Order: sequence, then structure tokens, then C-alpha cells
Amino acid sequence: MAETVIRSVADEQESLEANLKDEILRMYNEVAEHPDGDFHFYHGREAAERFGYAPELLDRAPTEAVASFAGVGNPHERSDLEEGMTVLDLGSGAGLDGIIASWAVGSTGRVIGVDLNPTMCRRARANAEASGARLECREGQMEHLPLGDETVDVAISNGVINLSFRKRRVLRELFRVLKPGGRISITDIVSAKQLSQSIVNDPQLWAS
Amino acid sequence: MFGLFEEAGFTKVKSVVVPGFRFRHRSTQNAAESFGVKSVLFTAQKPEG
Repeated sequence: MAETVIRSVADEQESLEANLKDEILRMYNEVAEHPDGDFHFYHGREAAERFGYAPELLDRAPTEAVASFAGVGNPHERSDLEEGMTVLDLGSGAGLDGIIASWAVGSTGRVIGVDLNPTMCRRARANAEASGARLECREGQMEHLPLGDETVDVAISNGVINLSFRKRRVLRELFRVLKPGGRISITDIVSAKQLSQSIVNDPQLWAS
Repeated sequence: MFGLFEEAGFTKVKSVVVPGFRFRHRSTQNAAESFGVKSVLFTAQKPEG
């Protein structure tokens, strides 16, 4: 009996995760394809300026990367990137944060973006190429990062980890890929109160 | 979330609220505020050696 209940809960969780993944892919595609759309979150240049991104960096970055920006803060504020570093941009989207990181680490550095969405990876690569930035993008899940152990100096991320049902797993993965002494600079959404089950079970609200 | 970083093994975990974060629509912002939803910048380090 207990085993059946556990299996049923696990199945339900798996189904929710699959729905959530679809909803996230849909929502971020929507922002990238219709940056002038009416979303309930700020995005694009308006959001980036709100979070203190330097206007000269936004001017220098490809218009599409800026227009598709859907972050919740500015992880560069405390990333302290230096020439030659290897950086992971977790949930790299259309590439704005990765491109800015690439300029900071220079030609001897390396920026690896990881995104669930193959379309966003293609956009990030195209935007990086257009701006002369060196940004690789690997399609993958944040719970199973496609990177080796202890290969990254700094991990940045912007409004992505909250989308995972398995945050512990994500943080363990970040810890795994960081070199000893490596650092994270991550902006994300947190909630002081437990979200109601109706929100947790609604992929559209969760993805928001 | 703060505790989860420490649980994963990170040290020097620090957090600061992102002041400019808010939802565009008043109704969403009100709902978010009722749950204490905010954007936070986290920094942390993996211990040396």
C-alpha cells in the first residue's frame, strides 16, 4: 500500500515536471519571439536598466539579446570576473549575461552557457557571434549539468533555479562543477511563505 | 534557499535583496507581496581544497 502511494506521488511529480518544462520552454520562446508582448514581468532593456546593467554594455550587446532578457536581477554586480576565468551561465537564454561575462573574461577566458531550450541556445550562439563574444551554449538540464567536475571558476545565473522542483540537486550540481575556491553569483526569486498547492501544481504560475 | 546553499557545501553565503525587482502588473505584484516573493542576489564559495 505504502509503496503504491509513493509510486503514485512520484508519477504525479514526474508529470508536473514534464508540464513545467513545456511551460518554461513556451514562455521563454514567447519572450524571445515577441519581445514587445505584454508579460507580467519586466523584460528586455527596461528590466536590465532597472537592475543596473551598464547602458554602454547594453548598447554594445546585440539588440535581440537585450530585447529577450528576462532576468530578475544583475548577477554581474558581484561576480568579480577576471581575464582568463571559466564561467558557467546557468540558464543562458538569449545570451545577454553570457556575452557580458565573455567580455569580462576576455580571449583567454571561456563562457559556457547551459539552457534547457535548444532554440535559446541557437539564439545565444548567434547573438554571441554577432557581438564578437566567445560563448558556447550547451543544451542541458540544470539538474544534470553537461560539464565535468571542478571545471568552472564562477557560475552566474539569473532567475532560473527557482524554476526547478529539485533545487537541492541543482545546487549540488553547481558545487560539483566549481573548482575549489570557485564562486557563484546568482539572482533568483525566493518566497518567504510556502506557496499554496494550487500554485505549485500550476505549471503556468510556477514558470512565471 | 540560503540554507540550501550551505547544505550543498557552499561557504561565505551572502544574500542581498534586488531593489528594482517587481512585477509589471499591480495584481501580480500584490499577490507576490502576499507571499513575500522577492528577488535576491546570492553569492557563495566552494571551499578551497
